[in-house]
Amino acid sequence: MYLNRVKLLYRLISKNQRIANRRHPMFERNMVFKVLTYFFVAFWAVYLAVLGIAFFFIFDGTNREAFDWINGGMIFILSIDFLLRFVMQETPAQEVKAYKLMPIPMNFLFNVFLVRSGLRGYNFFWFFFLVPFGFLAVPSFFGFSGLIGFLIGWWLMFVLNSYWYLFWRTWINRHTYILVAPVLCCAALIYFGIFFDEQCPWLFYATLRLGRGFVNFYPLSFVLVLIAIIPMFIVNKRMLRHFVYLEISKDDRVKKVKSQEMRFLNRFGEIGEYIKLEIKSTIRNQVVRKQFLFGAFYMFLLCALFAFSDVYDGSSFMKIFICIYCFACLGTMTLTGIMCMEGNYIDGLMSRKESVLSLLKAKYYFNCMMMIFPLLSVIMPIVEGKLTVVTALGCLFFSMGVVFPFLFQLAVYNNNTIHLNDKLTRSGRSTKTQMIFSSAALFVPIFIMYLLMSLFSENIASVIMLVIGFIGTAMHPLWLRNIYRRFMKRRYVNMAGFRDSRQV
Amino acid sequence: MNLEIENVKKTFGDKVAVNVEKFLVHSGEIVGLVGNNGAGKTTLFRIILDLLLPDTGSVTVNGNLKTCSLCTENTNFASGQLHEGEYVSYTTSKCEDWKAFTGAYIDSGFLIDYLTPDEYFSFIGKVNGMSKEDTESRLMRFENFMNGEVVGQNTLIRNLSAGNKQKVGIIGAMLNNPQLLILDEPFNFLDPSSQIAMKNLLESYNRETGATILVSSHNLTHTFDICTRITLLEHGVILKDYDKSYADLTFEIENYFKGNV
Repeated sequence: MYLNRVKLLYRLISKNQRIANRRHPMFERNMVFKVLTYFFVAFWAVYLAVLGIAFFFIFDGTNREAFDWINGGMIFILSIDFLLRFVMQETPAQEVKAYKLMPIPMNFLFNVFLVRSGLRGYNFFWFFFLVPFGFLAVPSFFGFSGLIGFLIGWWLMFVLNSYWYLFWRTWINRHTYILVAPVLCCAALIYFGIFFDEQCPWLFYATLRLGRGFVNFYPLSFVLVLIAIIPMFIVNKRMLRHFVYLEISKDDRVKKVKSQEMRFLNRFGEIGEYIKLEIKSTIRNQVVRKQFLFGAFYMFLLCALFAFSDVYDGSSFMKIFICIYCFACLGTMTLTGIMCMEGNYIDGLMSRKESVLSLLKAKYYFNCMMMIFPLLSVIMPIVEGKLTVVTALGCLFFSMGVVFPFLFQLAVYNNNTIHLNDKLTRSGRSTKTQMIFSSAALFVPIFIMYLLMSLFSENIASVIMLVIGFIGTAMHPLWLRNIYRRFMKRRYVNMAGFRDSRQV
Repeated sequence: MNLEIENVKKTFGDKVAVNVEKFLVHSGEIVGLVGNNGAGKTTLFRIILDLLLPDTGSVTVNGNLKTCSLCTENTNFASGQLHEGEYVSYTTSKCEDWKAFTGAYIDSGFLIDYLTPDEYFSFIGKVNGMSKEDTESRLMRFENFMNGEVVGQNTLIRNLSAGNKQKVGIIGAMLNNPQLLILDEPFNFLDPSSQIAMKNLLESYNRETGATILVSSHNLTHTFDICTRITLLEHGVILKDYDKSYADLTFEIENYFKGNV
């Protein structure tokens, strides 16, 4: 009887979550985005499968079996997986409120959310790599049962990793600065190569043995992973319960804020007012603040890596590639969701003449002002003699005059409202579609750079980038007005999208 | 300002949300739209404000522009190319000039909720070309309505109660002294004192500025009290249009709603 009720409730909640995903306005509305999403997944599937086959042939015939190398490098793969989850795994949507007064025990509800989190499709993402690799590497020694053990073992490791990620993500949702701890830890693991057998043999051999246990179907190996999963599950549940209750109680309602006049922006008139909005939005809205901090963090990390490591010293193309990333990543992080924040008050904006044009201008100036951060950061590689001032300026203007206009095109097409202050009780779905656009925003400039670098020297390429960027920057009133006109043509579609995805 | 709605039809799938052949609101009128849930009141307002595209028809705003008697500065036309006394006629979906003399509040989609009310009003004032002093003096008019709970609180709009959010939205809509004012359910969430203050505010604003006001409400008593015309909307269609002087107004409308219960 009790079991039947548990099964029924589990199915009901799962069904509601599935429906919520399927009926999300952004996904339902746009066929192109849907196709792009599938294309993106297909691209990674093929890429990882090819990588899996290639790795087998690289490791085959060495002093170890190929699967031992992969098992030994488990921490490396899990670290990359952990970092990828920040992009790929949506913020946990714990729609607890809707069930709060229903006869469903809260404990059970959290169990369902966490179990579903463990069973989510993303935990099979790396199978695109592991299945072809395992198929070539494992059966010749351990038969197909070995392959199954290999895959089950790895899947359990990804489930453990998803709870590990969830633990940090929940903390980061409350306090963004905590992000530094896991990301630095993972980056250090990857950068210092701790997973290599020469540098950290005990870790290499530990995971190698664990992997051996998987392929041999040693129960102890699986039990060990399960033992690690259970406490992570319990810790996550306690944390969720604590934070969700804190959020439902709306403790921030009593918080007072200091009104900020920012008088220095008054001289810019209406645009200045919208720049004030941008600044206040970044300071006061958790989602915007987080985007900004993530962008600033990635930018600083790249600059530091560039300055103090020799990883990118070999190729001048890679040098400019990293330099462009330093300048473009902050803008990419904040501009991919352009207008999505404003979706929350789009009716107010649209009831004033040309307010969207002023807003777009303010956004452009604000993002240009924010270039001061990468500009300060690239002083490190300039001082280290790894980057010339011309190249840095070329990348700066290229970002402002080419990358930004490219990203601003999204203002015409974005029509999903991003909730400004999402925490745990709402889904922070920033959509895979915006991810596709942000990737394009970074890949297109790289293609242009590649072309320039293959035709000219580094200095000439930098100067050309500077000139192209300067022209784009100087022409900003024209392209911004063009974007505004196109936005106004699509305004009804966009406003409907913003309203549908807005949660009141 | 006159408001003309002609052949406006809007459907969502099979459902006809609005189907208005002809509807005229004359300058200086206070028109109250009443109707049950789903009658199409909000949809009609959205169409008037060009926030929603109708399947057919158009909305026109026309009349002679005048400087508001409450203004200390001639800021009404600051952002546009408009001049006092000029006759204007705008189809709302074709241009944006009418926005300079229109104010509206429908729901929280009009509020920038990460600002404090003071910052929000200052923002509205500045983008409407008002000086800080002018904004402050105009806010004085709403002192009674705000009841000491809105400005000077240092609380973000999103953290205000539903009633105070409603007040911020309504004041924001009226701050630039619009000649056309559109308010959807303005009495919602307001406590009884604020509802009475709201009524007085709308009546005095209409009297002093001659502005055209369009409100929708489920509160029949308040609507009867302040409106010069009552329009009954149901299933997107205007069923009846009553002048306030009509003797059986209250009886007929109340009977209509009793029959629909």
